[in-house]
Amino acid sequence: MRQFFLILIFGLISIFFYQSVFSQSTDNDSIDPGLDFKIEEFEKKPYSLNGDIKIKETLRFLDRDSLLFKQKYLDNYTETTSWQTDLDLTIEGQYQKDIIKLYGRFKGLFYYNNNENFESEGKAEEAYISLQPSFAWAFDAGKKVHKWGKGYAFNPSAFFSRPKDLDDPYATLEGFYSLSVDYIKSMEGFLETIAITPVLMPVNRDLNHDLGPEDELIWGSKLYLFAFDTDVDFMFMISDNLDNHFGIDFSKNISPSFEIHGEAALVQDYHQYIIDEDGNTSEQEYDAFNFLLGLRYLSSQDTTYIFEYYRNGQGYSAREYENYLTFIERGYDHYLNTSNKTMISKSHAFAPYYNQQAAMRDYLYLRISQHEPFDILYFGPAITFIYNMDDHSAFITPQITYSPLTNLIFDLKTSFLIGKSKTEYGEKINNAKIVLSVRYYF
Amino acid sequence: MHWGMFDSIDNFNKGKKMKKLSIITLLVLFWALSAFALDGNEILKQVDRNLNPESFEMYRKLINIEPDGTKKEFIMFSVKKGKDKMASVFLSPASEKGRSTLRIGDNMWLYIPNVGKPIRITSLQSVTGGIFNNSDIMRVDYSVEYNCDKIETTDKGYTLYLKARVRSVAYEAVTMFIDSEKLLPYKIECYAASGMLIKNLYFKNIKDFGNDIIRPSIIETDSPLYKGYKSYIVFANIKSRELASEIFSLNYMQKIDDLR
Repeated sequence: MRQFFLILIFGLISIFFYQSVFSQSTDNDSIDPGLDFKIEEFEKKPYSLNGDIKIKETLRFLDRDSLLFKQKYLDNYTETTSWQTDLDLTIEGQYQKDIIKLYGRFKGLFYYNNNENFESEGKAEEAYISLQPSFAWAFDAGKKVHKWGKGYAFNPSAFFSRPKDLDDPYATLEGFYSLSVDYIKSMEGFLETIAITPVLMPVNRDLNHDLGPEDELIWGSKLYLFAFDTDVDFMFMISDNLDNHFGIDFSKNISPSFEIHGEAALVQDYHQYIIDEDGNTSEQEYDAFNFLLGLRYLSSQDTTYIFEYYRNGQGYSAREYENYLTFIERGYDHYLNTSNKTMISKSHAFAPYYNQQAAMRDYLYLRISQHEPFDILYFGPAITFIYNMDDHSAFITPQITYSPLTNLIFDLKTSFLIGKSKTEYGEKINNAKIVLSVRYYF
Repeated sequence: MHWGMFDSIDNFNKGKKMKKLSIITLLVLFWALSAFALDGNEILKQVDRNLNPESFEMYRKLINIEPDGTKKEFIMFSVKKGKDKMASVFLSPASEKGRSTLRIGDNMWLYIPNVGKPIRITSLQSVTGGIFNNSDIMRVDYSVEYNCDKIETTDKGYTLYLKARVRSVAYEAVTMFIDSEKLLPYKIECYAASGMLIKNLYFKNIKDFGNDIIRPSIIETDSPLYKGYKSYIVFANIKSRELASEIFSLNYMQKIDDLR
């Protein structure tokens, strides 16, 4: 199966080289720019169907000395590398008749690795019906993604969506089942636009059950204002089990090339679960304050800089995180000496809190990307840094994208995790990763 | 009584009347001359209206031709309302389909379906690559962004020397060459604050789009900064259309395709 995917990648690369080598005349004057325009080809149909297929090969360099590796595998995994081949198929469809629109985005995931062999998964990321009686009103019901917030990597005010993957913040997300309304009002004067988006999200055995074990109705809303050339949102979420959330965000251009943005969120009565180095557990309850401040700058050389500071008020201090890792270390040593997994198993219960991305408190994010350097067409290098200010560990990702043909994108990304022992990025399962992907849109 | 005295009074009155008449004549002449003097800003407003109605919809094809001959094409549907509101959605190619842009005054946003929310972009970037930047693709009325500093009459028509009204405008200065008969531009030169020529825009192929919309259907551009590159915009189906203001908002960006 792995050979099949490698052959597929090789085939796509070969098509690219064939097109490049045997493409038409290089003489600009003899190129027909195609200035005719058959509008009939683009007439609106009641339905549309699009998609993309992505093949990805991932090679992970495992850190067998890291504590999270030992927590997951104990001494049962002897390889030093791990590879995985993924085939992702996304189909997006839409049907519209008068004021009713149906929309769905479906994903099929097939992967093969040296550990779990061949696995597949299919899901509807979004599937909803939308009623749009006017330009000002829209009523949506179904599985939908509500992406709130202005941050690029972190979104403390994204109350109704799943957390982003910091490794790929622009990836599509799976939505939650909800009912929502969107009302837009434009005005003259300094307040040019106001929009309100209330959301209702039921939680029960059939719907949104991953939000919690108990049945409830989560509700909230976002109020958007556009005034003085500034976007501002106010939002809230009321929930019995997920704590009440209140937030605000903004975005503004200080100059044509310089944008600033920020978010702030208050989580009332947040429960934090703590385990110390001896395995003693405790729970803290407090009002957590999360915020983000960021900027984006485009230089005259076409270099884009995105810089963000993120304060995670729900995160662990450096000391608390180190204690958790120390407990894993002691649990592993205990297992080696006695074959008893009790301590390690106990640490697993806290893994959903401590092992999640950005589990600590203060982070810096910097992404630098360059458009077509040295006049290399369709070529876009970038580098991303995520720096944990509390324990001085870091996650660095250089990346290259190349799109020489319409609808075809090559992406090569390497990641390095840097940190001392008992730090967040110093104790992850792998210390480096290479990902090569090819995506074709249709 | 001496009859000569009445003659003097008569002459005096006649003299006064002549003076008054001369002054009035001069005033009328002065007013007439100033009425016929060229107003560059008025011409610019007329050019804007001749290029498109204040509120309209249109389809466009953007073509970027690289020095090696390869070309990339984008198809967009756009709507504009008033002097400075514009929204567009990409219909082709598949990798761009569903992306939309919005401009309100000096503010610009890009919505990418994968990202799921609008992000702010700048006028000097280009969502399509090539020579056209976002300011060219989401063009609002020239009279909104530029003030006419000077106007010259030439054999072909008029040359307007335009200066940006605010710093946030993409080009510090623009020289617009206008056909005086049609009051349409045939060439525009775009300059940076340093005086450097950034690009030339050539307006070609006058076409009747119906409903009194007669304008160039092709804009070709080249740039001394991008030697060997060429870009084109081809216009189709330009139609007047009254549009709700709510369409030009962040919340509507993912629904712009529904306007077709």
